[in-house]
Amino acid sequence: MNLVEFDGVAFAYPLPERRRSGGFSMAGVSFAIAEGEVFGVIGPNSAGKTTLLRLLTRVVAVDRGAVRVDGRPVGRLAHAELARQIAVVPQDTPRPFPFSVEQLVLMGRYPHAPGRFFESEADRVQADAAMEATGVRHLAALPLEQLSGGERQRAMLARALAQQPRLLVLDEPTSHLDLRYQAETAALLQQVNAERGMTVLLVSHDLGLAAEVCDRLLLLDGGRVARVGPPAEVLQREILEAVFGCAVVVDVNPKSGRPVVQVAWPAARERRQSGRP
Amino acid sequence: MSAGRRLALALGVLSLALLVVGALSLFVGSAGLSPAAVARALAGRAGAESVESVVTLQLRLPRVAAAALAGGALAVAGVAFQGLTRNPLAEPAVLGVSSGAAFGVVLAQIFGLGLSVLQALGVAVFAFAGALLAAGAVYLIARVPGGLSIQTLLLAGVIVGIFFTSAITVLISIVDFNRLGGVVHWLLGNLAPIPPASLALFALLALVGFWLILRSARELNLLALGEEAAVQLGVNAARLKQRVFVAAALLTGTVVAFTGPIGFVGLVVPHMLRGVLGQDNRLLVPTALVAGGIFLLAADTLARNVVAPAELSVGVITSFCGAPFFVYLLRTRYRASL
Amino acid sequence: MSVRILVLAVACVVLAASTAPALTLRDMLGRDVILPAPPVRIVSLVPSVTEIVFSLGAQERLVGRTDFCDYPAAVKGKPSVGGMVNPSLETLVALRPDLVVATNEGNREETIQQLERLRIPTYLVHANRIAETVDLIERVGALTGRQAEVPRLTGEMLRRIEAIRRAVAPFPRPRVLYVLWPDPLIVPGRASMLTELIDVAGGTSITAGDGDAYPRFSLEAAVARAPEVIILADHSTGTSTAGRSSPEKWQQLASVPAIRAGRLHSADLSLLHRYGPRVPAGLEMLARMIHPEAFR
Repeated sequence: MNLVEFDGVAFAYPLPERRRSGGFSMAGVSFAIAEGEVFGVIGPNSAGKTTLLRLLTRVVAVDRGAVRVDGRPVGRLAHAELARQIAVVPQDTPRPFPFSVEQLVLMGRYPHAPGRFFESEADRVQADAAMEATGVRHLAALPLEQLSGGERQRAMLARALAQQPRLLVLDEPTSHLDLRYQAETAALLQQVNAERGMTVLLVSHDLGLAAEVCDRLLLLDGGRVARVGPPAEVLQREILEAVFGCAVVVDVNPKSGRPVVQVAWPAARERRQSGRP
Repeated sequence: MSAGRRLALALGVLSLALLVVGALSLFVGSAGLSPAAVARALAGRAGAESVESVVTLQLRLPRVAAAALAGGALAVAGVAFQGLTRNPLAEPAVLGVSSGAAFGVVLAQIFGLGLSVLQALGVAVFAFAGALLAAGAVYLIARVPGGLSIQTLLLAGVIVGIFFTSAITVLISIVDFNRLGGVVHWLLGNLAPIPPASLALFALLALVGFWLILRSARELNLLALGEEAAVQLGVNAARLKQRVFVAAALLTGTVVAFTGPIGFVGLVVPHMLRGVLGQDNRLLVPTALVAGGIFLLAADTLARNVVAPAELSVGVITSFCGAPFFVYLLRTRYRASL
Repeated sequence: MSVRILVLAVACVVLAASTAPALTLRDMLGRDVILPAPPVRIVSLVPSVTEIVFSLGAQERLVGRTDFCDYPAAVKGKPSVGGMVNPSLETLVALRPDLVVATNEGNREETIQQLERLRIPTYLVHANRIAETVDLIERVGALTGRQAEVPRLTGEMLRRIEAIRRAVAPFPRPRVLYVLWPDPLIVPGRASMLTELIDVAGGTSITAGDGDAYPRFSLEAAVARAPEVIILADHSTGTSTAGRSSPEKWQQLASVPAIRAGRLHSADLSLLHRYGPRVPAGLEMLARMIHPEAFR
């Protein structure tokens, strides 16, 4: 059963923002995310990955076509109701952010009772569980800004988990992390997907992470769908070179059987010997 | 301790403090009344025409009420505006609304609308007209499809404020020499006894503004995550910003209409509260209403007694206390993040 | 029987008192001021009026004044209610006045409104002509029951003024620039009594064309009108130099006849800025500056 459907979506940013997006537009985007799968969106910068997220979470509205969640168009859902279905872990932690980890995670409970002034006891229980799951419970009383990069990321993830969504969206989750936390994040995603049955949407330009963790990938290019399917089908040399505009080498990871993509670096020694810059 | 319980405790302590400060203000003044006389007047046992009755009930009591209301309104507007712009140094005056309201009043005073006309319309109406003009201008400048742009809001507020302040300066430069003292005096911000009908209107408007902001307190917290993230959590960010902007403008315009522009309360009080209660707007907004009242009441009591029988403008006291306090804050708390 | 008569008598007295005719006065702004009886506890928010009250010998009826009321010296003995712009209402009320005298040129409208709300009778005055000053003295005399003193005071004033007028009459009238405040340049216009005083002193104010009382004026326009006498009002007191008239700045204007002829005067002219019995003294100072030849 499809949790998310994009159906012939077209979109362009209105005039004032166009200068930031460089005349970007999206057209004919159609794909679906099945419930329970880990779905990745990849592509070069300004391919439309962030725009896709914005359309999904109703930050902006489509010009043509439809975005459906659980069969219903997102435009028909109230903001809070959509937030109960989808939780987003953004790329960066907001700055300045003068709240503690616990206060941050409790914010994730808002969509479940937007009319309440204070959170309920049940909300606090959920928040506790989420912090436990991502291993930040011992940091609950600390201000978020005092945490390290990896701890902050996990706190943000806890907030999303506290939202109890059906779809967890992560926007570039490993972009600022060092290797250890990249591995931890990957493990956490798989755990969340396996244990809670949560559908995961991952937006990343880390092709290694995408290849290993995702069941299916969507390759975006200039606002159009280049290819969609399992990693082995999408991460192929010709299409990657066409989309990313540089030479790549695609190997296979012997342990997992998943593709491994590398940039074809020009060899340093050859350059020096031939005197070319 | 849960947030709810902390709020209850804080409100309890502050309300008690407000009562104490309020009571003290009633007993202190340049008329030199004995505490017994004041007590008699309050209990209704002094004659209606007696000095203690007139001074206590018609002069001091309304003034204490006005100070508490104005201080609370300014502090709440400060919290709201700082939450809205995510800038702890934002002040209600930055909205440009104080300058607009002040312009309206100065205009009325300059064209020396005869005593009777001013009585009929009340200075307050001109202040509201000016406040509306300024708030409307800021709103229109900052409006983008989808609501308000916060960055533009701040800039627009500053520009509109500068425009109206310049307009006031032009008016002052052509004002009749005799009126000059009065206009300058008003611009310093003063609390004066307000008649009961006006006081009731003042209270009503302040409470409407307060209610709008209190309702938005939880969402204001979420705004700290960033606007997009707040929308993704289910907050209707566009309507939230509109609501908070209108409420903050209403509160500021109301205070300026009744007391003239008083600065720093919206800056100093929220900061003091944040040091004790943290950043949660759900705690800050209600406590600001009471703490702001205490602050302005104390300042006004000082203003009307320190050089008796002359009276200082309360705006002067708040600026004198506000500025050094602010320097202290900048040097200690914000040094870490600079 | 006697008790009943007593009760009846008391009732009659009470009735008589309550139907006693109240005093209805019309103040100088045309407002009606209603008093139950002649005022005996007056607060003056106008320095000129305070002066007049003392000149008429009515000071026992004065219970309050402002910080700016500084003449005569005996004024210090009366309690002050604060400034003209921001008097302390509390102090004022505590003095239990039955009349407050205020001006619409110097006191704030808000203060006057507050007094009305407190139901304290307020009598408004202003004087922009010598005739109005005389009228003011007459009114203060009526208010304080010192009508008998008025003719002596006003007669003396008018005699001295007339003497000055006659002394300067034979001489040609020079163009006079009166500088109330140098920067921004503030001068007396038609609505100010200073213009009339300059005229009586035998000069023609070059700024008399402007209708306002104290308009701003540009230095250029003043220089273009080539005044033959320049009078600078010096506001500095003994200890402070604020409000000094800075005559040296004017010395540079070499094209102006007044400068070439050395007829630049700077003096403490606060006598001229009040409207009361000391007007003739100020007028004499002015006349000596404009027509020194008349007083040798």
